[in-house]
Amino acid sequence: MNTGGHILTSFNEDLSLLKEKTILVGTNSLNNLDNAITGLLSRDVEICSKTVMAKDNDEGLEAEVDKLGLSIITRYRPMATDLRMVIASMKIASNLERISGHALSIAKRTRKMLKHEEPEAIDNIQALYQISRKSIESSLQSYADADRDLAQHVLDNEKSISKTYKKTSKLYTKLLEKNDGHERDYLDLVFITRYIEHVASIAITIAEDVIFTYPVFDAENFQNSETEEE
Amino acid sequence: MSQQNTTSAFQPEDNKPMIEIDDLSFSYDHGKTNTLKNITLDCPEKQVTSFIGPSGCGKSTLLRCLNRMNDLVETSCVTSGEIRIMGHNINNKEVDPIELRKNVGMVFQKYNPFPKSIYDNVAYGLKIQGEKRKSVLNDAVENSLRGAALWDEVKDRLKDSALGLSGGQQQRLCIARAIAVQPKVILMDEPCSALDPIATAKVEELIMQLKKEYTIVIVTHSMQQASRVSDRTAFFYLGDLVEYGETESIFTNPKQERTEHYISGRFG
Repeated sequence: MNTGGHILTSFNEDLSLLKEKTILVGTNSLNNLDNAITGLLSRDVEICSKTVMAKDNDEGLEAEVDKLGLSIITRYRPMATDLRMVIASMKIASNLERISGHALSIAKRTRKMLKHEEPEAIDNIQALYQISRKSIESSLQSYADADRDLAQHVLDNEKSISKTYKKTSKLYTKLLEKNDGHERDYLDLVFITRYIEHVASIAITIAEDVIFTYPVFDAENFQNSETEEE
Repeated sequence: MSQQNTTSAFQPEDNKPMIEIDDLSFSYDHGKTNTLKNITLDCPEKQVTSFIGPSGCGKSTLLRCLNRMNDLVETSCVTSGEIRIMGHNINNKEVDPIELRKNVGMVFQKYNPFPKSIYDNVAYGLKIQGEKRKSVLNDAVENSLRGAALWDEVKDRLKDSALGLSGGQQQRLCIARAIAVQPKVILMDEPCSALDPIATAKVEELIMQLKKEYTIVIVTHSMQQASRVSDRTAFFYLGDLVEYGETESIFTNPKQERTEHYISGRFG
């Protein structure tokens, strides 16, 4: 028995292409997020503008993933893991594209903030950004490598992210209450903190999709699946 | 679809599966090699069970074991285990294969109507059972053709030759012929493999209707067909039953890697 790829090589190729395109949506989204945060921390308006302009590109790529996914379902009638992989890819691409949406929101708020002097404690956003970025990177890697363990690791980090988010959000809310003339900036930072937390939530969703997609098979030599369930 | 009453040794038993296959091994060469190896599975009453697997895996052999069609192969034998239908061990010496086949009808891959009229094809089984009453035969023919979703298409030409029907109609006529003798079980060996998509859809729709009254076991090479029409699916490979369970579970989340590879087209 050949347990490698599909007998139909074009099916294999299209599945690979679907995965590549989805990963590309992820890579672009991560770049956009990096640019948005770099723009914020280095107070660089040009980098922020670059992020704003990149958004349309990602939407086009996500539409390509949807189109290819539908084409695979129609042409090859995938089953089991293949079907779950196609559906998960379409969902994952859509979720990854939302990261670009959050990057865009961060960049837009940063451009507004750059009109004023730098507020206090802006660097405190780094910890949340780093942990969220790591999470999205790992979930994307788990999708690329069909790695359930790595996806599970992302899920296991959920509490830690939540803790960091609460800490950061609390800090900026406190600073907002100080009324030191930077209220508008702190409000923007509270929102930016929220966007980054959303990115971490997307990482969790992607990790769940990876676990849903790739099964753990039972040991061989058993017959009735219901017997085992009983 | 109620027709004339028949007295049969085969009667369904309460709370028992219609078909119980228990540790069955089967050989075509006097037991030298087993074509089926220690198969155990149950087919519930009034459900569709599909057998899938690559050519030579034993699914048609198992289907033919269910009404002892393999008795026609002189060198064949059940080497271990048993098959119980409605609680009766069908390989028991006291079981009459003719009586068994009245209760376990079969529809074949290639539609095979007799070179007779549509009416005579459907009435044939009852006639050879000795039924001569015209009114009984008329009712049986109409009910069976209705049951096979063919009545409206042929009611005005019952005396025409069955061979003049389209392929899909001929296959449904064979199903009508099978249900005319009121079996409890209908076996179907790739019933749509020679049909176009429209005729296939009609037969599949018919299977969904028939399962309200009959227990159906179908062998198919079409994964889509198995997933559409069956409640339970068994996957065979090289004479082994690899996996058996709810169809939805087999096609969306199989527990065995070999099943996954087969249904997703990774078998070479």
